[in-house]
Amino acid sequence: MRKDLVFGMAGSGGDGIVSAGDSLLQAAAAEGYHGVMTKSFGSQIRGGESSCRVRISTTPILNPGGNLDVAVALNWDDFLKFGAELPVSGNTVVIYEAATKILEADIPLVGVTPLQVIAVPIAEMAKATAGTERAKNTVVLGLIAGWFGIGAVAVMKGIRKKLAKKGEELVDANQRAFDAGRAFAMEHPLKVSMNVAASATKGQVKLITDGNDMCAAAAIFAGCRFFGGYPITPSTEVMQFFTDHVWKYNGAVLQAEDEIAGIGAAVGASFAGTKSMTATSGPGLSLKSEMMGLASIAELPLVIVDVQRGGPSTGLPTKTEQSDLFAAAFSAHGDVIRPVLAPTSVADTFRITIEAFNIAEYYQTPVIVLSDQEIASRKETLDPIDTSQFKIINRVVPTGTDLVDYKRFKQTDNHISPISHPGMLGGTYLASGIEHVESGAPTNSGSVHQRMNDKRTKKFDPLKDRKDLFEVTGNPDAPIAILAWGSVAGVCREALEMAQAEGINVKLMVPYLLYPVAEGVYNEFFQSVQKGLIVEQTHLAQTFKLLRMHIDLPKGVQSLARSGANPFLPTDIVEALHRLLSELQRSHEGQLQPQE
Amino acid sequence: MSATCDYQAKDYKSDLKPIWCPGCGDFSVVQGIYRALAAIGRPPHEIAFVSGIGCSSRIPGYTTAYGFNSVHGRSLPIAQGIKLANPDLLVLAAGGDGDGFSIGGGHIAHLIRRNMDITYIVMDNQIYGLTKGQLSPTSQKGRVTCTSRYGSMEEPVNPLLYVLAYGAGFVAQASPTDLVGMAATIEEAIRYPGFAFVNVQSPCVTYGEEAQQIKGLKAISESLQSLGHNPADRLAAMDLAQQYGQKMHLGVFYRNPEPPPTYGDLVKERQTLLSKDALPKERILDLFIKK
Repeated sequence: MRKDLVFGMAGSGGDGIVSAGDSLLQAAAAEGYHGVMTKSFGSQIRGGESSCRVRISTTPILNPGGNLDVAVALNWDDFLKFGAELPVSGNTVVIYEAATKILEADIPLVGVTPLQVIAVPIAEMAKATAGTERAKNTVVLGLIAGWFGIGAVAVMKGIRKKLAKKGEELVDANQRAFDAGRAFAMEHPLKVSMNVAASATKGQVKLITDGNDMCAAAAIFAGCRFFGGYPITPSTEVMQFFTDHVWKYNGAVLQAEDEIAGIGAAVGASFAGTKSMTATSGPGLSLKSEMMGLASIAELPLVIVDVQRGGPSTGLPTKTEQSDLFAAAFSAHGDVIRPVLAPTSVADTFRITIEAFNIAEYYQTPVIVLSDQEIASRKETLDPIDTSQFKIINRVVPTGTDLVDYKRFKQTDNHISPISHPGMLGGTYLASGIEHVESGAPTNSGSVHQRMNDKRTKKFDPLKDRKDLFEVTGNPDAPIAILAWGSVAGVCREALEMAQAEGINVKLMVPYLLYPVAEGVYNEFFQSVQKGLIVEQTHLAQTFKLLRMHIDLPKGVQSLARSGANPFLPTDIVEALHRLLSELQRSHEGQLQPQE
Repeated sequence: MSATCDYQAKDYKSDLKPIWCPGCGDFSVVQGIYRALAAIGRPPHEIAFVSGIGCSSRIPGYTTAYGFNSVHGRSLPIAQGIKLANPDLLVLAAGGDGDGFSIGGGHIAHLIRRNMDITYIVMDNQIYGLTKGQLSPTSQKGRVTCTSRYGSMEEPVNPLLYVLAYGAGFVAQASPTDLVGMAATIEEAIRYPGFAFVNVQSPCVTYGEEAQQIKGLKAISESLQSLGHNPADRLAAMDLAQQYGQKMHLGVFYRNPEPPPTYGDLVKERQTLLSKDALPKERILDLFIKK
C-alpha cells in the first residue's frame, strides 16, 4: 500500500483535464486524504494545452511533489509542452490515449523507461458509453479509481452533484463512462500494485481552496473592508472573492480603470480609516510603485498582494517565479522600508495575510504579501482552522489629549503617531506625499527630512526581532543549512525530511518576513553553518543577494537559483546537499592533513 | 449628510500661508471654496479634500478640512476610495489642467461613468506653473513656451466638452473675474448628487499670456444665464462648450434634471441586500467546506 501518489495529467483545452483534477481532489478529500492540486496552462484563452498535478497522501502534504507516479497523456504534443512540470521517471506508470496510434514502446519520452506504459482507448470508451468524447475525463477518473483505489464512490457522488441541474441523462452517461474506465482497470491490473492506503481521517470535514481565495478570506477576517484593483493573471481571483463577499460585511470593492487607480482608491480608503487592500502581479506592481511610496511617506496602512509570475514585463503570465523580490523590497524611489511577507502554502496564506494587515495597521505602512502563481492557484485540502487563535491589530487612533492641537506625525518613543481619519472631530490634518512637519504642513527643511526619515525607518526595528516570522526545522546546530521561501519552501521541507532520513545533519530556515532583513535572526541561524544552500526560483539569485547586502553569510553558503517555470524537485535539493556534504568532508580532511 | 450648522468662510481657512505668486487666480478659487463650504455648512472634519501635484494642488492645505495632497494626476482615484470607504463625507478633488487632463486624464471618464458623488474643481491656466512654464494639455496651438520654443503643434484638450461627452451630470465654468458667481457655482456643484465638474479659468500671473489675465478673461467672459442657456439641455451645453478658448462662458453648462443614483447609493443598496447572507467573520472559512 502506498501512502502518497502524484498524478500528472495533460490534454488540450477542451479535454476537461483540470475539471477531472478537481473531481479527483474533492473525492480524495471526501475520503479523508490530504491533497494538493496545481494547474498549468498555455497562455491561450481557450484550447491550447492544459495540465494539472494532483498529489494525494495519507499524511499532510508539503508541496505538489516531484516525479509523477502516474502520468496521463490525452495527447503527447500537449503533455510534452509541460516539460519539467510533469516529470516522468522509472517509477512512473504512464497511461495514454490509444487513439494517438503510438505504440507503447515508442512513446516520445526521451531518456526514461517508465515502470509501465498502458495505451487505453479513452476516447473510444467515452464515445461508446456516454455517446461523446467529452466524457474522456470521466473515463480517466474511472481508470484512476480502478487502478489506485481513489474515489470509487466519491468521484461519481461529486459528479452527480455537479451535473444535477443538467439532468439525469447526463449523470447516467457519466456513470457509464466512469464504470467503463474502472472496469478496464480491473481487467488490466498493474504489474506492481499502487493502491493507496485508506486514510485515518476519513469522515472528517476538510476544506478545499486555493491561495488567492484564502488570501481574500483572510483579509475579510482581518477586517479589510475595501479592495481596489485591476484584473491581472494570476491574482485576479483575489478581487473576484471580494466582489462575491465583501458587500455582506458592509465593505466595498472597486474594479478600477487601471492598476494605479486600484491602489489609489485603496490608499484613499485607508486615509478614510478603513482597512484596505489591493492585489496584482509583476507588471501591476511596477505601475503601483509610486502609490506605494505615497503610502509610506503619508504613513497609511495598506496591504498589497503581489502574486508573482515570470518576468520581466509580460514574461510568463501563467507560470510561477520568485523574481519580484527586489521589486517588492525596493521599488518606489526614496529611502523607504516596506515590509514584505511571503506565504509558503495555501494554509499559511491565511496566517500571513492576517499578519500583513496587523503589521500594516500597527506600523502605519504599506505591506507586500509576496505570493506566487503556484500558491495562488493551487488547491489544497485543509483541516478546519481555529480562527479564534488569531489576534487582530487595529491602528492607534488619537484620543483625549492627543486631539488637543493634534499633530498627525508627532514624534513618539516608538516612532508611531496616533492616526486620525476624516469624520473625527479635532483630527483634521493634511496628508501628503511632500515632506512634512509633525502637523502635516509641507516643508523642504533638510533637518526635518532627516528626522522624518528616521521616524519612518526606525519604527520598523521591532519587526526585525519577530522570530515567530521565521520557521527553523532540523538540528539547530547542524553544519549544513537550507534556506527557502514562498512555494519553494515546501519542496525544501520535503527535501529536509529526505536528507534527515539519510542521516545528513541539516537544518532548514523558511523566512515569512523577507524585508526588512532581520539581521539578528539570520546571524543566529547561520552561526553553526559551514555549508548551505539558498534555494530560489529567480535567475539572478535575488534572495542570496538581498541577504548578502545585509549579513555576512558563511563562505560555504551557495546559491541554488533557477528561472521560473522550472520547478525544483525535492530530489534536486537532496542531490545538492550530497555535494555540500562531500565538500564539507573534503575540507575537514584538508584541515587534518599535516603541513609540509 | 449630518446636521449643518452656522459656519463662516473663515472657519474653512487654515493658518498655512499659500505658496502662490501674488495675484495668482488660485487665491480667488480658495476664497470661492471657503464661501461655498460655509453656505453648505458641513463641519470641516466631515470634509475630505484631495489634490494631486501642481501649484493649484496645494489648495487642500489652505483649508481646515481633512486634506490629501497626493501624487501627480491621482486626486480622483484617491477621492473615490475615500468616498467608498465613508459615503457620509463630503469629498472634493482639485488640481490643475496638467494634473487632471494630462497625467491623470484617464481617470475622469471612469468617475463620471460611476457617477461618484465627488466635486472636481480644475484650476485651468493653460500652463505648467510649478515646473516654470511648460506646455499644458489646454495650451493653445502655436503657444510658445520653454518646451515649445517654435510654437505648440498640438490642439488643446477641451475640458468642458470632454466631461460633457462622457456624461457628467453637472458641468460648470467659473473664474476669478466673478468671485460671487464662482462661490455660487461651486456650491451648486457640491450640492449636485453625483459627479460634478467645475472648470475654473484661473490665470497664471507668472507664465500666463496677456490674454489669459483677468483683464483679457473679462473681455471674453459671458454669463450662460444672460445668454438664456437652459442647463437641462445637454446638446446646447455641448454647442456652447465648443467655444472653449475663444469665449469664457460662466455658470452652469449642464445639470442633469433627473440625477441617476450615485455609485455610493448602489453600493449601499447592495450591502443592504447581501448583508443578511454574511457568515460571521470567524466562520468565513466555512465557505471552503466541500459538502
